[in-house]
Amino acid sequence: MGFIVGIFYLLKGWDSDFLTTNVFAVSYGGVLGKYKFFGCVENNILDEIASVLIVLGALLVVFSKEKNEDEFIASLRLNALSWAVFVNYAVLFVGIIFVFDVPFFWILVFNMFTILFIFIARFYWLLYKASKNE
Amino acid sequence: MKNSIKVERAKKNITQAQLAEMVKVSRQTINAIELGKYNPSTTLALKMAHVFGTSVNDVFELEETDWK
Repeated sequence: MGFIVGIFYLLKGWDSDFLTTNVFAVSYGGVLGKYKFFGCVENNILDEIASVLIVLGALLVVFSKEKNEDEFIASLRLNALSWAVFVNYAVLFVGIIFVFDVPFFWILVFNMFTILFIFIARFYWLLYKASKNE
Repeated sequence: MKNSIKVERAKKNITQAQLAEMVKVSRQTINAIELGKYNPSTTLALKMAHVFGTSVNDVFELEETDWK
């Protein structure tokens, strides 16, 4: 669900205005002006909705228990989590060094989600491998 | 660490899935232990030995490489 909204957001961009409302902000402004704190600001809430849904969906997958959650599965989880953190920061590191300006902003945006996605991919791959080789 | 789970299973004529159910873990866990890819916790080792009616020492055995 979050993915659909997220992809929709990426394709359509910022110009859709049907969700633009006034929202409360802790901090805003700043691109070409001063930072402002605690106020109301007009903002398109589509990206907020997309991010929240993606993260909530991923967290739901990450924290769901297997049908038979035991110590071995727990060790796979730990393995996958440490792996995800390392891979995520390796990618981020490459990004910091070789990517600049607006693309770097996108690296940061995707980095919010990649750690969860890498974890999910790695964990289910390990589980698949463990159940396959007899 | 070597183990004789496969042999003990054959003696009792039970499958990985059945053993897994008896000691309340997933079949993947039994499989990984049998293949030597995962060291079970002491509790699980004791449970498995209990199912087989043997002591843990009969099921699991130290290897040279465990000392390195």
